[in-house]
Amino acid sequence: MLRYRETGELHRDFHGSMNAAVEYVGRRYGREGLRTIFRATAQRVYRSIYEKLKVGDWSELAGHWRYFMDREGAVYTLAETEEALVLTVHRCPAVARLHELGMAPSAFFCDQTVLLNEAWCEGTPFEAVTELTGEGSCVQTIRRRI
Amino acid sequence: MIPSDQFVRFYNEVFKFLDAQGGDALADYYRVVSAQQEQHCLRLFKEQGLAGMKAYWDRIAAEENCDMTCILYPDRFELVMRRCPSLSKARDNDAGAFPRYCDHCPGWVIPLIEKAGFTCEYDIIDRSLPQCRMTVRPGQAKSPSRVILSGQRR
Repeated sequence: MLRYRETGELHRDFHGSMNAAVEYVGRRYGREGLRTIFRATAQRVYRSIYEKLKVGDWSELAGHWRYFMDREGAVYTLAETEEALVLTVHRCPAVARLHELGMAPSAFFCDQTVLLNEAWCEGTPFEAVTELTGEGSCVQTIRRRI
Repeated sequence: MIPSDQFVRFYNEVFKFLDAQGGDALADYYRVVSAQQEQHCLRLFKEQGLAGMKAYWDRIAAEENCDMTCILYPDRFELVMRRCPSLSKARDNDAGAFPRYCDHCPGWVIPLIEKAGFTCEYDIIDRSLPQCRMTVRPGQAKSPSRVILSGQRR
């Protein structure tokens, strides 16, 4: 069960607002500024996902990814094994929307994924590895620490 | 990726962070957001005036699932928000809402409206309620733009 599970229409231009927000904070306050905000987002806004991760349960994160990747029309696969949860994004809907808006992704744009995943894994049995494989594609791995 | 549905809860955290930096950090950010929004709105507002504003906010009402009415009068445009999804999400949020969350709207809207040649009265009503009212008039109107809180609880 997801803590937040919106329905109805989508305002995809918010991806453009995200681009501007991370560019603003990243340029003025650096990656540490972004890290502060994404830590608060991961651990306070998404508290229920984080609390489950702390006890070794990635089920709500998997449900969150599945629901919102479907809702936004992403092209992706989600694979679960005993050791890892792996989200492979072939077409990122956020980057696609930036292209539709004629916006170039900020150098910090994918930090919304990288820093969010890292913050989700802080103090948990997991570690996050996010590999950017191209503009609009990536592999996000949540795996058990050895 | 932060889903577009949940951007406003992230935005809420940006406001908290910038407010904690002190000085004009938050006001500076509103100005940057306003400049960014020019790409979506400025030409429309300049070329189509009040009708362009109604067209823009009618689209927002649908995409953001607002309970909102946009009314075009011969001399003004009025937006009446009965249930703001943005503040509603910021409040339905385990991290809690930034107390002045509502201020970002007039913060970006008013500079853009004025740049298009209009003036704006933005009534936030009460920062704890997901309601507001905005009235836009051509720039020759007697009253300058202003933000009010007509219903704020004491």
